[in-house]
Amino acid sequence: MGDQYEKHEALEDMLGSVSLEGSCSRRDFLKWSGVTVVGMTALWTLAAKAGETPLIIMDQAKGIVIGDPTRCVGCRRCELACTEFNDGKACPTIARIKVNRNLNYGVQSVFTGQRGQGTWGKGLVMQDLCKQCPHPVPCANACPNDAIVVKPPTNARVVDLKKCVGCKMCQRACPWEMISFDADTNKATKCFLCDGKPRCVEACPAEALTYAPWRDLTDKIPPRVTPTAIVAPAKTAACNQCHKR
Amino acid sequence: METQNQADLASLAIPDFIQKRSEAGELVTAEDILDAFLKMGALTEKENQRADFEALLKKTVKQNEELKRIVDGKAVAYYYSTRTMTDAYAAILIRRGQDEALLMAETVRDNSRRYPRPVPVRMFEFSPYSLTTEGISSCLDNMADQEQYHDIQQTITSIGTVFLFSTAYLEPDYANFLAEWIDVGQARSP
Amino acid sequence: MARIGGWAGKVLRADLSTGRITKEDTVEKYKDYLGGTGIGYKVIWDEVPPGTKPFDPANKVIFGVGPLAGTGAPCNGRTAVTTLWPTCWPKPLIASGHMGGHFAAALKYAGYDAVIIEGKADRPVWLSIADGTVEMKDARHLWGQGIRRTTLEISQQMGPEVVVAAIGQAGENLVPMSVVMNSYSHSAGGVGGVMGSKNLKAIGVVGTGSVYIAGGKDEWEKAVKYHLTLLGANNQHVVPTSPQPWAEYNNPGTRWVASRGRQWGAAEPPVDTGTCEPHNLNRIAYRTNNLAFYLGDKAWKYTVRGNGCTGCPIRCHTKFKVPSVATKYGIPEGGQNTCAGLLLGTWFYKSFPDGPQGETAIEAAMVGMHLADDLGIWCNYGQLERDFIKMHYEGIIRNKIPEDEFKIFSWDKYEKGDPSFLFQILPRIAYKQGELGTALGLGTGYMLERWGIPEAEWKKDPNLVYWKLGHPKHHANEDAGQSGVIINTIYNRDTQCHSQVNFTRNGLPIDVQKRLGAELWGSEDAIDAIGAYTPMNVHKAKWAKWALVRKELHDSLSICNWMGPWAASPLKERGYRGDDSIESLLYSIATGDKKSREELDQLGERIFLLHRALTIRDMVTREMRTKHDTVPDWVFEDKSGKAPFTKGTIRMDHADIEKGMEMFYRECGWDETTGAPSADTYEKLGLGYVAEELGKKGLLP
Repeated sequence: MGDQYEKHEALEDMLGSVSLEGSCSRRDFLKWSGVTVVGMTALWTLAAKAGETPLIIMDQAKGIVIGDPTRCVGCRRCELACTEFNDGKACPTIARIKVNRNLNYGVQSVFTGQRGQGTWGKGLVMQDLCKQCPHPVPCANACPNDAIVVKPPTNARVVDLKKCVGCKMCQRACPWEMISFDADTNKATKCFLCDGKPRCVEACPAEALTYAPWRDLTDKIPPRVTPTAIVAPAKTAACNQCHKR
Repeated sequence: METQNQADLASLAIPDFIQKRSEAGELVTAEDILDAFLKMGALTEKENQRADFEALLKKTVKQNEELKRIVDGKAVAYYYSTRTMTDAYAAILIRRGQDEALLMAETVRDNSRRYPRPVPVRMFEFSPYSLTTEGISSCLDNMADQEQYHDIQQTITSIGTVFLFSTAYLEPDYANFLAEWIDVGQARSP
Repeated sequence: MARIGGWAGKVLRADLSTGRITKEDTVEKYKDYLGGTGIGYKVIWDEVPPGTKPFDPANKVIFGVGPLAGTGAPCNGRTAVTTLWPTCWPKPLIASGHMGGHFAAALKYAGYDAVIIEGKADRPVWLSIADGTVEMKDARHLWGQGIRRTTLEISQQMGPEVVVAAIGQAGENLVPMSVVMNSYSHSAGGVGGVMGSKNLKAIGVVGTGSVYIAGGKDEWEKAVKYHLTLLGANNQHVVPTSPQPWAEYNNPGTRWVASRGRQWGAAEPPVDTGTCEPHNLNRIAYRTNNLAFYLGDKAWKYTVRGNGCTGCPIRCHTKFKVPSVATKYGIPEGGQNTCAGLLLGTWFYKSFPDGPQGETAIEAAMVGMHLADDLGIWCNYGQLERDFIKMHYEGIIRNKIPEDEFKIFSWDKYEKGDPSFLFQILPRIAYKQGELGTALGLGTGYMLERWGIPEAEWKKDPNLVYWKLGHPKHHANEDAGQSGVIINTIYNRDTQCHSQVNFTRNGLPIDVQKRLGAELWGSEDAIDAIGAYTPMNVHKAKWAKWALVRKELHDSLSICNWMGPWAASPLKERGYRGDDSIESLLYSIATGDKKSREELDQLGERIFLLHRALTIRDMVTREMRTKHDTVPDWVFEDKSGKAPFTKGTIRMDHADIEKGMEMFYRECGWDETTGAPSADTYEKLGLGYVAEELGKKGLLP
């Protein structure tokens, strides 16, 4: 219990310097902006195994891909560019932008018949895109190995292939079902913004995708599923220090 | 400082401005450019500016291969960038709003010679010609009376579409055949 | 285990008689035939005995795709469907249909390059392909339903991403004029009845795997992006319809219809198509709007967006919305299709009260698609409609069908151009109802025979554009002079070859076309201006051969022959040159099998030759020149009496065409007297075994 207290104080201490409302001095910000997973866990002197401490990712992504469903022509060149140019194979199933699942009947799927969107309905094709979530990052949080990391310069949330063990927990954690699992490598993969030049945006022949400055879309786009990821109880307990209601 | 500014204008801002306007399908005069730059704050008002600017513009055009200067019937000079606008398109613009009959005739002659093919008269209602139906009618009437436009003739397809061609390059029979092909035949063989 | 590039690796074989499903190794067995029609012809040659009829269980239908299908190579979405052709008259022969959509890609991701359907199920079935799990499933609840419901119900079982190729009631009823359709509007004509005869209602494919690229991913990316730079609009038209700032040329007849002010009017909110400068690869999808191209400027306000095959940026299908049809005809306001499929309903009518590009024409298109794309009716490239118009207005229908049947139809409505008439006629074709419905569904050849009308009458009428064997021309002398005629003699259905017409209609001035033609086919003399034809020469023969070999190559690679080859491009800095080696470039990198343009063309020629051999074998004659490669009379006539080779006519000359056929045979290494390929030619192209078999039957020259 005492250890928990210590952890909590350290956290408050840190957070106290970074006020989200008020201004934060440049110096302070620089102190904390470099915080990474490693940095954070260092604060917990009695840190348990990786994955049992709360993962706090303070770096927001710098950019995000945004889709316009009223322009999408359902060609799937985005999915092809994502996989062919990144993975050397055409595999829309692992594409990190997901269009095909909404192509025919829209997001609500086949049970809307000809009354939904997509080719069979009114025509809109929703492009499902990674929101590069702010804290708490569901996929990163769920990973028992802390294998989803922030990668400069875009600060995209990226799967570290060296750490990923292929448990698929991240896949179950994403409310928008944006994590792919590559059966060839046996590892998860997700949108990494192609290091600042997203290939999907480049490939779209209808200008239906834009690479824009990051903004928080997590409360603007309804989730596809209720996540079923299981996070280690100790980790959840630690998260509850700040997030408890 | 002023000279540095001018150099920048010459090498960067002016060509860029002209290129962007050309991309949008517009010719620009020296005045257009100057006004825009003044509005943007790239230049400030001063004496003798018009003359100075025109001189700078002339120099810029000389130095930039892709910039072209074209003069209309009233000796007004326009500029465009061949990077984003073709000579063919500029030629249409330069005549538009001035001698519409000549514009139509030159277009018809060019099409009749080059492709070769007649031109649907409706084409002149659309961009970049954008003539009115009345305007087109009166042009055609005028052309019928003038010697210099005697080569401009009409042919009508089986569904009533009027095409124009130049007898200098197309025989009436062939023009009629081509009009029918464009208007009716091609759509029947999708 | 080394991964092959391009090919998925397996050919699926479904024996519907026994229920056995087996898999073969694509590269081992079929590499020399590439895929698509190559595999199709090979299977038919090896496994389907001559004399087999299309609806016999012994017939096979092969859904084939190529090594480029499912990749990011532009324009690769097509599946070739090869079988013995039900509408081929008087004797069924080899032919293929093609469908776009997402079927080809799904099949590749599931792990297959082709599906061979053989035998006949004892009750209605559908084939479920979910990656490695392939099952024949009970289709009794689907039998009797249209293509739309069938697709929807299979989607409910297999998920919203499944691609379903289904037949409608027409195919079930063994109507020869029937299709198989996937992805809402993409059909392969002529094959629906073959599936129906096998009791195969549909094939549903879900694929979660990959198509591997053998070459380096940077190399591939470079090649794909390079190919994109060469693309024009639909049919590789490289010049815009109206003058654009960036364009040196323009042509009102092209399909590059985008311009400022022309909007996808039914998008919410509307999207302006803009100038579509060719270097802007992010705007390729806006260049084409086939709804507007065919049905006029009015159609822009009904356009929602473009649609089409996997990976193709062109979007030659238009998705559109016509609110009035919901109340007027009780059909959904949404529609989607292109070309002949779009115009099926419209073409039934001689005229409309508000003209050929008015609202009624659009409504007729909607009603036609609503019915035909669900019932699964084939139009035979408009021959169905042209025959109908002629037979009605000349009193033939009235003559040939019983009076009380004739009275069922609202002929006054038909003559007034009322689209509701289609509700009377189209279902009757699908259900073989009455004499008229039955006859129309047979296809022209068998219909004429049934009604005792000599084929010669059809061959005289220039409005029918009928060619032979029960099918019409498809881009013949009206588009490509003698080369077009030669091309149209080769196949056993309407020639689905666009290599030549993509070029002649691309919008470039004649001197530019001649320059490009000289580079590709040896001389400027290869290309004439339309209707200003000059006598035959060897370059025209070379052009014809190129067009045909490339068509077969495309149908086997999975490249869309409605876009390729890339003889021209919209790029002024290239002198409007395309790249005639783009197919071999993409093939080599994707598969790792390095082939030059000539080497790959040889492969295409092998496939083309196999089609020739099959035709000879099943016609049981080597007298192809006189018995098969025929040209109808109307090609040699002109209604205003103009002579051949004068300006303003497409009229051909008999002796000149004879010369053309000889030159063409020579180019192909076929005997000039008979038009039959020599043993030598077969050998040279790796078809020695074909020559042997034909030799035994006396079918070599």
